[in-house]
Amino acid sequence: MGDSLITIVAIVLAAILMFIFPLMSMSDRTDDISQLTVKTATTEFVDNVRTTGRLSLDDYSAFEQQIAATGNSYEIEMEVKVLDENPGKKTTQASSTKIGENVYYSMYTSQILDTISPTDGTKKVLALKEGDMFSTSVKNTNTTLSQQLKNFFYTVAGNDTYTIAAEHGGYVTANGSGN
Amino acid sequence: MKIQYLAVVFVIIMLPISLVFSVYVEGQVETLDMQISYDTKLDNSTYDAIKAFQLNTVNSSTSDLTNSKIRDIEAAANSFFNSIATNFNMVGYNSDNLRAYVPALVFTMYDGFYIYSPFENTLDEETQNRLPQDGSVTYAGGEEVTGLKPYIYYSCRYVRGQMDVTITYSLDNYITIQGYDKNGNPINDAGYLIDNISYNSSTGAITYRGIQITEEPQLTEYIGNNLYPYVKINGVKYYKDSSGNWFTLMNGSFNYGQGTFRDENNDMAYRYYLEALDFKKRLKDYGVEELTSENAVGVSDITDANGDVVYSFTDGDYQIFDFDNDIEESDSNFNNHRLAVIRYVIESNLSVALSNYNDYGTGSYNFRMPKLSEEDWDRILNNVSLISFLQGLSIGGKIYNGYSVINNNKNEEVVTEDSIYIIEDVNSDSSEYHRVTHNGLESMVNNNSRGVFNIDFERKSIGSTATETTYYYYPHRQLGCYTCYVAQTDSETPSNIYEYLDGMTDKTLAKLYYTALGRERYSMYKVFRNPEEHVNQFR
Repeated sequence: MGDSLITIVAIVLAAILMFIFPLMSMSDRTDDISQLTVKTATTEFVDNVRTTGRLSLDDYSAFEQQIAATGNSYEIEMEVKVLDENPGKKTTQASSTKIGENVYYSMYTSQILDTISPTDGTKKVLALKEGDMFSTSVKNTNTTLSQQLKNFFYTVAGNDTYTIAAEHGGYVTANGSGN
Repeated sequence: MKIQYLAVVFVIIMLPISLVFSVYVEGQVETLDMQISYDTKLDNSTYDAIKAFQLNTVNSSTSDLTNSKIRDIEAAANSFFNSIATNFNMVGYNSDNLRAYVPALVFTMYDGFYIYSPFENTLDEETQNRLPQDGSVTYAGGEEVTGLKPYIYYSCRYVRGQMDVTITYSLDNYITIQGYDKNGNPINDAGYLIDNISYNSSTGAITYRGIQITEEPQLTEYIGNNLYPYVKINGVKYYKDSSGNWFTLMNGSFNYGQGTFRDENNDMAYRYYLEALDFKKRLKDYGVEELTSENAVGVSDITDANGDVVYSFTDGDYQIFDFDNDIEESDSNFNNHRLAVIRYVIESNLSVALSNYNDYGTGSYNFRMPKLSEEDWDRILNNVSLISFLQGLSIGGKIYNGYSVINNNKNEEVVTEDSIYIIEDVNSDSSEYHRVTHNGLESMVNNNSRGVFNIDFERKSIGSTATETTYYYYPHRQLGCYTCYVAQTDSETPSNIYEYLDGMTDKTLAKLYYTALGRERYSMYKVFRNPEEHVNQFR
C-alpha cells in the first residue's frame, strides 16, 4: 500500500520533471522570442512614423500582422500628442520674453484609427508635423502557454497580467503632409 | 531502473541544455535590444543636429551665404556629437570615444552636399610659414582634422555632338548649366524649368497653368510689436520703417544704410515666371533640350538594397528636358532623371568617404557604406536632410552598423511645394493660416488672402542691447488652423499638388499658391546671380 503510494507520487514527480519542466522552459523561451519580435516591430513602427511623419492603415496593418505572427493576441494602444503652438503665439504677444508656452493635446487609438480608415474606398493618411509626439504600447491579451503553466503551479494575481509588452515613442521629426 | 532515477537522469541532462539555451537566447535578445536602442539614439541625435541647423538658419538673415552656412553646419555637427554623447553616456561612451565610430555626417543642401568627416591636413611648409607664428595657430601638415569637406554639387556631364555641358541640379527645378552649346559656344546659365507659361507680348501678361500671375500688394511682417513693409531680395529681407528708411536685421538688431528700394507692389512671382519662360527659350537655342539620358557621362545604373536596378541611364533612352509634358510635376522625365543624378552623386561620393575612413579609424572594424533603403532615399532626395552613420560599436553578439536619415523642411535653403501656407486674411491678426490641401479652402480664400513661406511662421528673436534682453516674436501673428495645420484631420493628401489645384473650379487658391511659390523661390539667394546688380533692379 505504502509502496504504491510512493510509486504514484514518483510517477507524478517524474511526469512533472520530464514533461512539464521542459515544456515550461521551452514556452518561456517562446515568450522571450515573442517579446523580442514585438519589441522590434513596435520600435520600427514608431520610428518609421516618427521619421516620415505619416501613419497609414497599411503601416498599421503590417505592424499588426507582424506581431500577430507570434501566435498571441495583442492590445495596441497608440497616442499622438499634437503640438499646438497657437497658445504660445498669444502669450508671446503679451510678454515677449517668455518661451516654451506650447501646449499638446492628445489623440488616442480609436481616434487615430478613425482618421486612417478608408472612406468610400480612398486611402487616408494621418499626417503629423514636426514637434508632435507619437507613442505606441503593446500588451498581450491572451494567456500564453508559459503563463498557463505558471498559473497552474503558482497563481499570478490580477486580471491585468501580461508577459509580452513593448512600448516606444518620441518626437516626430518630419512634416508628413508632403504633397 | 526505477522511474524516479530515470527522471533524475533526464533532469541532469536537460537542465544544462536548457540553461545554455536560455543564456544564448538572452544574449541574442540583448543584442537586438541594444541595436534597437542604438538606432533610436542615433535618430534622436540626428534630429537634434538638424534642429540646430534649422534654428540657426531661421534666425539668421545671412544663413544662405556659404561661409555662414558652413558655420551653421559645423554648429549642427557639434550638436550631433554633444547629443550623441549625452544619449550614450549611460553606457559608458563619451563624445571623444564616439567620434571614432562616426565615419561621416552628410548634410544634403539645395544644390549639393557637405560631408563632415576626418581628413588629412595638407598644409605645406610655405603656407604654414605664413600663418601667425605666435603659437595661436596650431595646425600642422599631415595631421588628422575632422571637418567639412568641400561642397559637392549635384552635377552631371553630358556630351552630345559638339555640345559638352555640366548641369547642376537642385532640390527643386532650378538648374545651372556650364559648358559648350551645340555650336561649340561657351554657355553659363541658370534658371527654373517650368512648363505651361504663356506670355502676351502686347499686354505683358504672364499666364501659368491658365492663371494670370499679377503683382501682389506689398508684403508686411512684424518685428517685435511693429508691422513693417518689406521686400525680400536674394535671400535678404529689406524692411521700411515709419520714416521711410530701409534696414535689414543683422544679428538681432536693425542695420540701416541699405539705400532705398521701390516702394510698390511685389512683382517677384511675375519675374519668376517670366524668367523661367526666357530660360526655356535659351535652353532651346543652346540645344540642351535635345539631351537624352544616354548622353550622361560618368554615371552608372542605380541599384537598390537587393541589387535590383531602380534607375537606368542607358536603358530606355529619353529626352530629359521634356517640356511638353509638365516638366515641374514630380513624375516627369526631368524629375526622375534629376533624382537619379542626385542619388548617384551622393552614393558614389559617400561610399568613397566611408571606405577612406578606414585609413583614419584606429579599430579593426572595416567601415563601409550600408545600403540605404528606398524610402530613405526618397526622403533624402526631396528635402534638406542629415544622414548620419554610426559603425563599429560592439553590441554583444555583433558589431553595430547603423545609419539615420532625418530631413527638414523649415529652412532658408529650399522652397518646396509643401512649404507654402495660405493666410485667410492678411489684414487681421486673428485670422488663420492653412495648408493648401485644407478641405474646402478654395471657398475660404479671397483677395485679402496671401500665400506665405512656412519659416515666416516660426518664432524669431531680436535683442535689445540697452536692456540686454531677447525678445521673441512671430513675423505673422495669425494662428494655425486646427484641422489642417495643428492636427491634419481635415486635409487632402494629393500625390500631385499641381493636378489637385488644376481640378478646382475657383482659381483664387491656385493663383495665391502659384504666386507665393514663385515669389518665395525668386526671393531665394542664388549663387549664380550678381548680387549687387540683382538688388539694384529693385531700387
